[in-house]
Parts: sequence; C-alpha cells; structure tokens
Amino acid sequence: MSLVKLFSTSSSRFVSCFNKSLVSFSQKVDVLSKTAVENSSHSSCLEQTNEDLSTFTTYFPKTFNLASYINNSETLQNLLHLDVNLSKIEKKPQLVEKILKLSCGNIENFILFIKDYVNVDEIGTFITKNPLILYESLEDLNVRINYLQSKKFSSNDIQRIVSKNPYWLMFSTPRIDRRLGYFQKKFNLAGQEVRHLSTRQPRLITYNLHHVMTNTFVIKEEMGFTDSELKKLLLKKPKLWMMNQRALLERFNYIHNVMKIPHLVIRQNPEVLLCRNYIVKQRHMFLQKLGRDQFEPKKENFIPIMALAEGTDTEFCKKYAKCNIDDFNMFLKTI
Amino acid sequence: MSAIKNIRNAAIAYKTLNGLLCVYKPACVSLQQLQNTVITNLCRDLNALPDRPLEKRVEIQGPTNDAMTVKLVTNYADDPLVCGPRYIKEDFRCSWATHLGLFSSGVLLLGINDGTKLTYLINTARLTRAYKVHGQLGKATDTYFWNGKTVEKSSFGHVTREKIDKVIAHMQAAHQKTMFEMSGLHMESQTMFDLASQGLIRPASNKLPVIYGIKCVHFNSPNFTLEIQATNEYDKYLWTLIHDLGVQLKTSAYCTGVQCIRQGKFDLKLALLRKHWQLQYIIQNMDKCRSIMEENSLLLKPKSASLAL
Repeated sequence: MSLVKLFSTSSSRFVSCFNKSLVSFSQKVDVLSKTAVENSSHSSCLEQTNEDLSTFTTYFPKTFNLASYINNSETLQNLLHLDVNLSKIEKKPQLVEKILKLSCGNIENFILFIKDYVNVDEIGTFITKNPLILYESLEDLNVRINYLQSKKFSSNDIQRIVSKNPYWLMFSTPRIDRRLGYFQKKFNLAGQEVRHLSTRQPRLITYNLHHVMTNTFVIKEEMGFTDSELKKLLLKKPKLWMMNQRALLERFNYIHNVMKIPHLVIRQNPEVLLCRNYIVKQRHMFLQKLGRDQFEPKKENFIPIMALAEGTDTEFCKKYAKCNIDDFNMFLKTI
Repeated sequence: MSAIKNIRNAAIAYKTLNGLLCVYKPACVSLQQLQNTVITNLCRDLNALPDRPLEKRVEIQGPTNDAMTVKLVTNYADDPLVCGPRYIKEDFRCSWATHLGLFSSGVLLLGINDGTKLTYLINTARLTRAYKVHGQLGKATDTYFWNGKTVEKSSFGHVTREKIDKVIAHMQAAHQKTMFEMSGLHMESQTMFDLASQGLIRPASNKLPVIYGIKCVHFNSPNFTLEIQATNEYDKYLWTLIHDLGVQLKTSAYCTGVQCIRQGKFDLKLALLRKHWQLQYIIQNMDKCRSIMEENSLLLKPKSASLAL
C-alpha cells in the first residue's frame, strides 16, 4: 500500500512539474512567433508576394559532379572557356571544394602571369593537370621563376619547363634546388648538362625520387651499363628513368639476351627500350623465320635495331622484311 | 572499309556494337586484360567520332515581380569537358564464350553488349575446338609447361615419327570410347547404336574433356606439334596430354605452347590481330560473325547430340 501511495504522490509531483515546464515552453514559443511576425511582413510562406525573389539562389543539394553546379557558377564557366577538363578534376573530391571557392579575380591574375610561360592553347590542360596552382600566391611563383633565371636558364628553357611540367612551380625553391643538386651529384653532371636535362625532361626533376633511384639501380646494376654510359643515356633519353622498372628490364632482357644486341648499340639507340616488348618480339621472330635477322652493320643485309621499334608494320615489311604485309599478319596468327 | 563509311556519328556506331567478335588472343595476355583493351579502344574510337550538338536549356530570367523573359541558352553541363567523355568502359558489357588460359593463344570469341547472350549459347552448345599444341621431348617440368621447374631430363633419340603416331592413335581410340560413355545413354541400347551410327557425338556433361582427334602435324626431334580436336578441354589438360605422351614414348616431354586454331565455324582467318582491335575492324568482324551464325543456325542451338548435325 505504502509503496503505491509513494508512487502516486511522486508521479503527481512529476506531472505537475512537467505541466509547469510545458507552460513556460509554450510561452516562449509565443514570444518567438510574435517576433517572427514582427520581423517579416507576411505570416506564411504560402502567401503571395510582390517582392523580387530572383536574387535568391536555388537550393543546391550535395552532388557527385561539377556538372550540376556549372550553369550557376561563373568561375566554373570561365574555367570551361579556358578548356579546363572539369570531369578530370572532379575525380579528386578534395580539389573540387577548393575549385568551387575560387574567385574570378584569382584566375584572372594567374592567367595574366602564366601566359608569358605557357602557350595560350595549353593553359586549359595546364590547369587540368594541376588545379591547385591557382591557390599559390603570385609572389611565390615569381620567386620560383626568378630562381630559374638566376640559374642561367634561358627564357625559352623556362617556357618549356613550366609548360611541360605543370607541377614544377608548385615546388619551393629550396626543394627544386635540392633536387637539381641530387641529379648533378648522382650522375656527375656539369652545370650546362643539368640545364639540358631539366629542359629536356622537366618532369624527371619533380618525379618520385625513390622511383628514380630504383631505375638507376636497374639500369646500372641489373642491365650492366657503366657510369659514363649511364650519363649519356640520361641526357639522351631521360624518360627511361620514369618507366616501370619491370617493363624496362623485360625489354632489355629480350633485346640483349635473346637478340644478342650489345650494350653499345642499345646505348646509341635507347628509343628501342621505350617500345613495347611485344612489337619488338614479333618483328624479330618474323625476321628470324625469314632468315633476315642480321643486326651487324658491317655485314650485308643489315637491319638497324630501330627498325624493330619504329614505324608501322606496312613500312617495316616493305623496307626491311621485303615481303607483303599479309604474310606478316599470317605469321602473327601462328604465334 | 565500307562499314566505316556508314558511321555518321558515335550513337549509330554504338548501336551496331551488339554481337559476337572473333579476336586473336596473344599468349601471355590474360582474358581480363584483353577485354579491357578491346573496350578501352572502342571507347577511344567512339569518343573521337563526330559528337551530337550540345543540348540547350531553358532559362527564365528577370525579376519575379515583373514580366520575365524565357531564353534558350547553352547547357554547360552537357559539355564533354564537364560531364566526362560520352562513352566510358562501364557502358559496355563484355564476356568470353569459352575460357582460354593465360599462356594459350588463338581464336577467342567475345560477346559485346547483346552479344553476351550469344556467348552463353556458344558455351552451352559445346562447339569443338581445334588446337595446335607444341611440345618438346627430353625434359619434364612440374607444371607440364615451359614456365615450370625442370624435374626430369631423359634421352629421346629413340623417338621417331612412327612411334609418336602409334601412341597418338592409341590415345585417340581410348578417347573415342569415353566419348560414347559420356553421351549419357546405355551402352548396349538401340538408341545408342542409332546415335553412334551417325558418327561423332558430343558429351552430355560439360565437365570431362572429350578428344575427337589427335594428329601429329610436325615432328623435328625434339620439337613436335600435335593438332587436337576436342570439347570441354582446358589448357592444363592439353599440357598433361603432352606429358602422358612423353611417358608412353619412354622419355619425357613438356608443352611449349598451346594455340587454338578453330572454334566451331570460327577460324584463324576471321580472328582480329591485336593491332586491328579498332572500331572499324571490330564492326566489320561482327558483321562476318553474324553472317556465319545466320548460315549455321544449328551452331548455337544444336538439336541432336551428333556432331555432324
């Protein structure tokens, strides 16, 4: 009994308490609604209005691509007129947020700056590759250009470096300096040679240094080129240092160990290492079948090594294999 | 070349890309890689074709409390630079009819878009496939193929063409017997006799390999080449066949290459080489495959277990 009593009294106390708070809450709501009515001239959004509402923007829901925003955003339209590929930028969501917050002034200043270094038609692809450059301050960019000038790069060189490698200007001066120093020390290059290398393949300087190190190992230790040959290769075909090391070794393996081409010839024609292995392989096997695989320049019926990598199959058949293209195609269906 | 002239824009070209495609699979290229290359090339070629004009959008401008103007403006969202290329890899469905191992090369049937249904039919119809299997005497490897470790070496001077032919004829006879056992009928029934009198028959299940014919087409000791006609076979089975042949010849042998030269009515002549995996050649090839299937309606839905029908 006593327990029930206790419960009932406590519950009634609780109910009264709740009622009190309810009253105070409803009073507050009243106050709120009154102020709302005072602030706006109409009490409901369903009522008609004579005001100009065209300045209100529509509600933008969350989206997966920039296409839903572009018809309302002048910045994005400007970027599109520059031929920037927005569909590529939106693949990286962290970039999209930054791009949307850009102002037109930002872009304008940047274009006025970059047009001295990059061809006007290429500005679009430049920004597509590195949209974050719009966020770098122009002073920094100027300092980085000045650094190149102080290192005696000619204006043509600077133009080539900046337009071929959109990421170059993102790197701070000490960082670029360290990297140029690394290449100079590692490959024993003279000042002019460093300049030649960075103009010839500007992307190599800002490339992943670990990758460069492993490729150096592959070319020097696994392929067996000497240090001086390494330097000549680097200055002639810096792209070898940006390739996948496994593919590189596979190609070298076929050319050197199967076709028995000496290091010297490969050093003189490093382009053959840039060609896909299957193309070299099938042409070599075809020549072998015809008995024309003669790669020594001092003997007759010499076939230059580049014939295996360059040109179309028709040209190859006509000039070197001396047969019809159909024969070659037929051969390809037997391997 | 005539097919490519009819293609006015990418949409029409895309609609024609429904059907079977016969490609030449190079060795050491996986089927997934091959599929990916074909479809990437198709997307590249379709995106290079003339595109449709950009869509327009209606925009109602001006203050809302006054007379508003209706304007037709360009829809920036429709630009390929904004919404991405018109054709992407996900737009294509692609499947192969029968599997061909990583190290095998040769004729491969691919179905693109609606052609994926045809590849299913081809798979269930169990078309015979012809292979050229290259082998070498004197060495055995743990995988029975050139990529394995050498486990045994033996002399092979005593092997002659006649000896190979003898062993092969014996193998073929043994397989012919299993062919009748695999038909699913009682061996001593009249139905079985009627079926067997019509010639070769296809197996009831798709699990066990059945070999219809083996022939030695090239022998230059230690290298030799067999031509094998079979269904339900797979590359590893053909490797073991070479190994068994070596054992029966009292030496050892391993397989150096497997090449599929025919599947049903689709042969090497039809197959597209890797350099020809381009839109114009693919459309021509699809036309050819289509006409082959129209001429041989029983190819996809065989009515009898007999191979001849």
